[in-house]
Amino acid sequence: MKILGADMGSRAVKLVVMEDDKIIFRKQLTTMQFYRDYCNYDNTLHFDLSKLTDIVPDICVSTGYGRNNTNIDDFTPINELKAHAMGACFQTGESDFILLDIGGQDVKVMSIEKSVLTNLDLNDKCAASCGRYLENMANVLEVSLEELAKHHDDPVNLNSTCAVFSESELIGCIAEGISIDRLCSGVNYSLYKRLKTILSGFAGKKLYVGGGVAGNQAVLHFLQNDYSEVIPLEDNQFNGAIGCCVYGKKIAGSK
Amino acid sequence: MKYIGITTTVPSEILIAAGYTPLDLNNIFVTADNHEHYIKIAEEDGFPQNYCSWIKGIYGVCIEKGIKEILAVVGGDCSNSLVLAEVLELKGIKVHPFAFPVERTLDGIKKQLDSLMGYFGVNLFEVEKVRESLASLRDKVIELDERTYKDSTVSGWENHLNQVCMSDYNLDAKQFEKEIDGLLDEVKTREPENHIIKVGYIGVPPITGDIYDYIENMNAKVVYNEVQREFSMPRHKESNSIYEQYLNYTYPYDTFYRASEVKKQIQERDIDAIIHYTQAFCYRSAQHIVLKHELGVPVLHIEGDKSRNLDARTKLRIEAFLDMVKDQKLFKENI
Repeated sequence: MKILGADMGSRAVKLVVMEDDKIIFRKQLTTMQFYRDYCNYDNTLHFDLSKLTDIVPDICVSTGYGRNNTNIDDFTPINELKAHAMGACFQTGESDFILLDIGGQDVKVMSIEKSVLTNLDLNDKCAASCGRYLENMANVLEVSLEELAKHHDDPVNLNSTCAVFSESELIGCIAEGISIDRLCSGVNYSLYKRLKTILSGFAGKKLYVGGGVAGNQAVLHFLQNDYSEVIPLEDNQFNGAIGCCVYGKKIAGSK
Repeated sequence: MKYIGITTTVPSEILIAAGYTPLDLNNIFVTADNHEHYIKIAEEDGFPQNYCSWIKGIYGVCIEKGIKEILAVVGGDCSNSLVLAEVLELKGIKVHPFAFPVERTLDGIKKQLDSLMGYFGVNLFEVEKVRESLASLRDKVIELDERTYKDSTVSGWENHLNQVCMSDYNLDAKQFEKEIDGLLDEVKTREPENHIIKVGYIGVPPITGDIYDYIENMNAKVVYNEVQREFSMPRHKESNSIYEQYLNYTYPYDTFYRASEVKKQIQERDIDAIIHYTQAFCYRSAQHIVLKHELGVPVLHIEGDKSRNLDARTKLRIEAFLDMVKDQKLFKENI
């Protein structure tokens, strides 16, 4: 049984094919590439996997931002939180933990107890606590995301609620001659401060982190203030797609 | 017909006794073909972008519809209403202020209602007569509410709409009562429905009216509308006077008192989960801290701003929340 999971994020589409609980294919495309190069629209949206691989899946499950965007022919859509919770249970082999997923414009936090989602929250109205913020700030500083992610010492204070105002605040700091290391730390710390608000209702010991920002060492470092164990998911970028496959297996089993 | 605009549910018996027809400005705003036009009027006159859309909508309605006088609730609702009253006064509209007491005591509400009666030149006898004349309408709307959760023949949306109309009795209490009679007859012919998840809706009435259909499309149903139900004065029978009736009305008082009534309804209606709606930029969003702590079932907080349709983010949050509640419920039933 081959199951295709597709996670349509704001920045990238992540595709995974699993067979017997093993990943046999994975691919990340930009959202634009996915729709432009691999989909055709004829009243409904059709995704052509054959352009990427010879594998022919038996079941296809999709998730992503909003139900309409994930409505592709022959795919069963599931909500993102379920996909991420299932992916994390599968990847970690654990059934009780808190999961934080930080994507391009989404932050999701979930409590999972006995493998069931018991509490959830998502950022609302504002995406200043997400990956796109780090990208913008790295551009202002003219450093790579990898370089930005290394710094957590002595962060410069950035207070703006708005991500756009934060850019001008950062420029002000540059003009004051503050070192690039401290500026990078400040950017990471300001993201962490925003995350703290959404994490406030989710006390626990073990925090797994998924999504692109799970690769940011500095943010993980700051999160250790609140959780004794902060562990990035091994396959942080593909967690949602893996969760889709796990769900696909479940529906196949119940048929 | 002498109309008086109201900004939320008020002791309308006093206004009716004084010969007025109360007109809930919220209802005109939210049911207008182009409701955002009213918001635009307010923003052009200086109301900020990050300000309650209900307030801006009410303002726009007053200006455009040439409303001459209003009774503004300046205590027990919000400080935005207070400022709204001041700005309307500036525009030449006659504003009668009314405040629910800060402390929920019989003495407190008596003082406020007596003062309002004195202001409008009516006495308790006249007001009680109006209260009595509205009792059968209230009873019928209460029955409609019961049909929503007891046999599920009334939809969450119908429940919302008819209860929310109780702030001004849809401008004509007698005609409205006839409509409710008709609806009650009609629902008797409906088949009872079953939904996996029973949802309680708490908080102010939503600007996003499509929330009811959205929830019902996910095998869930709103079986309780907290504030809308309060508009119908569901405990009017146990209240021996107009004073007690507005003492037993939860909305203008403290969050713990509101929560105590919501908890009773969670038990009574076997509610699985609560969706708590607040208007964007409203102080009530922080009441979520208390409500979430008090209620003992999963609570999702959502916000609406200008649009009458749920946005994609809010839909995702509701969908994920209901999905989670369903999984939890099935999980509990299986062990």
